[in-house]
Amino acid sequence: MARRMTLFLLMALIAVVMLYPISFMVQTSLRSDEQYRTGAGYSLGSWRALFATLPVADLMLNSTLVCVSALLLILVVSVPAGFAFAKLSYPGSAVLLTAIIACAMVPVQSLVLPEFANLARIGLVNNYLGAILVYAALGTPFATFLMTVYFRALPDELLEAGVIDGLGYGQIFLRIGVPLSLPAVATVVVLQFIQIWCDLLVGLLFLQTPGLRTITTGLGVLASGRVTDVPVLMAGATLSAIPAVLAYLLLQRFLVRGLTVGVSK
Amino acid sequence: MTRARPVGVLLSLPAVTLVALLLVLPIAQTAYYSLTAWDGFQATWAGLGNYAQLFNNPAFGRVLENNLLLLLSVPVAVIIPFGIAAVLNEHVLGWRLFRALYFLPTAVSWVVTGMVATRFFAQDGILNGLLRGVGLGFVRTDLLAGERTALLAVGLTFVWSMVGTNTLIFSAGLATVDPSLLEAARCDGAGPVRAFFSITLPQLARFLQFAVVLTTISAFTALFSLIFVMTSGGPGDGTTTMEFYIYQRAFTQGEFGQGAMLGMVLLATVGLVTLIQVGALARVGRES
Repeated sequence: MARRMTLFLLMALIAVVMLYPISFMVQTSLRSDEQYRTGAGYSLGSWRALFATLPVADLMLNSTLVCVSALLLILVVSVPAGFAFAKLSYPGSAVLLTAIIACAMVPVQSLVLPEFANLARIGLVNNYLGAILVYAALGTPFATFLMTVYFRALPDELLEAGVIDGLGYGQIFLRIGVPLSLPAVATVVVLQFIQIWCDLLVGLLFLQTPGLRTITTGLGVLASGRVTDVPVLMAGATLSAIPAVLAYLLLQRFLVRGLTVGVSK
Repeated sequence: MTRARPVGVLLSLPAVTLVALLLVLPIAQTAYYSLTAWDGFQATWAGLGNYAQLFNNPAFGRVLENNLLLLLSVPVAVIIPFGIAAVLNEHVLGWRLFRALYFLPTAVSWVVTGMVATRFFAQDGILNGLLRGVGLGFVRTDLLAGERTALLAVGLTFVWSMVGTNTLIFSAGLATVDPSLLEAARCDGAGPVRAFFSITLPQLARFLQFAVVLTTISAFTALFSLIFVMTSGGPGDGTTTMEFYIYQRAFTQGEFGQGAMLGMVLLATVGLVTLIQVGALARVGRES
């Protein structure tokens, strides 16, 4: 009993270590710079100052637009591809799948320079579409891998039943494959939403105009400037954290599969 | 089944196209441009000139050194979550809630983490406040002001940031360990330590390896935001890692060719880590 109590206290201590930065962020955002320095009192002044410092509404909207569009694009390409690689393989499809999975391992920094030059040439830098395409491309390999693993686990009898009912393979995908894929879709959504929402580098390079920036990038640039009051930064940090944290809280049960799919060969 | 093939091709075509144009093509271009003097617009052939810089330019040496030093944080970032997961696996009161809470910071961007970490390590920051609180006020730290200590601060923040993910991986792994095997080991007179090393650990090998590889790759490729916000690569080149140097060389100094060369070095490094993982996986597969 004493042992379980010790372990519980240890876990509680770790919870404090893990959550303290978040509570520091929220608490500090509710103070003026002076209140932050003296450590006493609360006010909403820093939140008002945040809205005067950054076009936060625009930035949140930009983030939402880029994030949701990229997510949709990832799903539109990876769900059918996963179905094809798992159930409708063709000569060369195994090689293509391996190549796509290998791309998931490539660091962004190893391709971002030509990517930037290419998209700049066709006018897609400082354009939502450019960032959306880059995020979608970066998320597609992992999503395709996850979808393939997921569809492989489904019994072939489901397809055969469709064939017997006289459905074409396209219809089988739409009427049987897509509805069954929803749990895997949720996994992709939660992982990629957090990933894209929290990204700095792609936003920094592909959406450089201040008015087009995502909230994370806008905040990162503001923070690296080192002139803004800490409480104002923390108000921005709190606001920026809300959507991804909500996505995690709502979809957390789908997350473990996504994190461990790379383990089971 | 002949009709299945064209549908398969059609369904996989969009993903293949997207990956080919926006991932494979720029990787090939990076390989080419790493052999050129390139400013982002014009490229002239330079052979291995950029690669020779690796050995001639002392800044590169420093960057590689920083990367190697950051690797020291990998074992810490794996072992701590392993311990946490092992305790959670004892199903202490509220373990599900704890596991969910530990992961929560992972949903917060590394930009935000970096912002808070900057306040944590600052001279008038939280760390010194804590030290004062426990009567160690005479130990005044200012980690971000020194080259080596700033790297330590980034490394510590990185370890903290990996706790959620790695704990979740190990929790999932521990849940797969067959309790009847542990029971059998106990009947055979094995103590908890013996049982851990001869039953639990081998069964967790795959998860352990995955966590090590993920953490290692993250140490090479995921610290950009932390460095950007916490130190901008400084003081001096104290916290400039390969991935940050690529950004600096290309976008603040216009040396896209050298950025591409470093991109290849980074790709080779990550590729090597991945291959070691695949090789070790195959070995584990043969043994079992």
